[in-house]
Amino acid sequence: MKLEFYDPSGALEVTQPHAPRLSSLERKRIGIVSNEQWQAYRMLPLLKSLLETDFPGTEVLPVDAYPQGNALIGTEETAALVKKSGVDAVIVGNAA
Amino acid sequence: MKNAVSGVGLAPDAAMVTFPIAMFLPGSDITPVRERKQEFYDGLMRWQSKFSQSAGESPMLSVEGASYEEALNRANDLLLAKLWGDGLPLWPATRERVDWMLQGTALPRTHLLGKFPPRGGVTTVETCAIALAMAGGRPEYLPILIAAVEGCLDPSTGFDQLQATSGGPFPVVIVNGPIAKQIRINSGFGLLGPDPQNPAGASIGRALRLLQQNVGGALPGVGTMAIFGAMRYTNAVFAEDEDSLPQGWLPHATERHGYTTGTNSISLVFASGVTNVRRRGAKKESPQEDVQNGLWRMADFMRAPNLAVLAGYEKGTPGIMMISPVVAKMMAELGWTKPKLREFLWENSKIPMDQLKRAGAPAWIEIDSNPITRESIKLDPWPICLKPDNIVLVVAGGAHPTHSYWLQAHSPSVVGRPIRLPETFDRLLAQAQRDLGANRV
Repeated sequence: MKLEFYDPSGALEVTQPHAPRLSSLERKRIGIVSNEQWQAYRMLPLLKSLLETDFPGTEVLPVDAYPQGNALIGTEETAALVKKSGVDAVIVGNAA
Repeated sequence: MKNAVSGVGLAPDAAMVTFPIAMFLPGSDITPVRERKQEFYDGLMRWQSKFSQSAGESPMLSVEGASYEEALNRANDLLLAKLWGDGLPLWPATRERVDWMLQGTALPRTHLLGKFPPRGGVTTVETCAIALAMAGGRPEYLPILIAAVEGCLDPSTGFDQLQATSGGPFPVVIVNGPIAKQIRINSGFGLLGPDPQNPAGASIGRALRLLQQNVGGALPGVGTMAIFGAMRYTNAVFAEDEDSLPQGWLPHATERHGYTTGTNSISLVFASGVTNVRRRGAKKESPQEDVQNGLWRMADFMRAPNLAVLAGYEKGTPGIMMISPVVAKMMAELGWTKPKLREFLWENSKIPMDQLKRAGAPAWIEIDSNPITRESIKLDPWPICLKPDNIVLVVAGGAHPTHSYWLQAHSPSVVGRPIRLPETFDRLLAQAQRDLGANRV
């Protein structure tokens, strides 16, 4: 007896690609977008200092370079600010 | 997080570095960030998506067994193994069963309703029919499920956050119009279920929950951080007892959404919990005292620093107060109307600022994204919503005077949707009569 039935999960549509990866982290400019939650105020500055120590010439913008908080980080305005800042990559945090 | 990523149209397997929850708490040890720094660096340089996109109609699965019974068991095992079940037996959504469900709508099966957040699963009429089939539904239930899904996907609900948040708000679907009786949705005793005499609400609500989990990605501890879960197997789908509305009292859908009385419609609220209020008095009391004391007790339950109300402060609701038809009649005889009741409950559920302060509530008001809500911090006592009309008041429940029921909300909006019926609806009702016996409502 064979029973056939539908996968109930609904298709996922990928409508935009992830940003291309960097070939190296040296002499890069990196942004941080923070929702200001879940100890982001401690973790993200630590990550900034690690990157700047391990990769000479790399600049990581301060966590308050862009608007912070869940209500603001997903907006088109924040995206435009990130683009305008001319960074090579962005790190987004924190979720729990 | 994968849900949040796929929900905006990116491949779900984004570069992420994950840690146990302990590191995200105040005073935590964050040295693991240093120890695992290479993972961050790899994410920026080496990560590549391995996601492959599926397209077209929903794919099929299959199981085999020596008998139908064995195949059915295997299908249920497979659905659980793939994390598409809820722990209760499911009907596998076979082609035959899904085609049967689709008799409940005139919309094409490929009709797109939207993307179910936060995962962003494509949600069509067929997706709804599959969920309803699994939930043990019937085709005449499908119009309400579609309307409820449309309501959930309305941008005003903030559904992506409601699905994921730790408070675990769940959809409450209030049905107005003749369809409630026609398809056996309960408005009386035990209306929040279970009730074999009125089984429709359970199937519709369960189908909605399956969509939330399977299409929207709200899997406990992974896609939804709902800490306690709030008994959401079937959500809450019930009808207002319109026949028992006292003279001059309007149905909820008319008051809140402006639908003409008699329109089939749903109204969608997100609740985060329920409280039974023992409303009736004891010993010697006058009708006036019974009503007045009961109202004070309702207001006392509402007067709590439940910060989930902030979400609906301006346009949503702090909750749904359900009043039984017997109580509504007593109130009406004493001159109470729905607007007067809401006014009383709003005025007397205000919270003194010193009580808010001792509970640490002002900080939440200060960081709210809505300036109107932030501005409300100047009010003392503090009203739990902007205006009395935000409170949802429905006449529903068994014909008994003792209790009222308060469903506290986490609901940025209260969304109404008309229910669209297919031309063949009467035939579906006749078939239900044959299958289930006479409608006892």
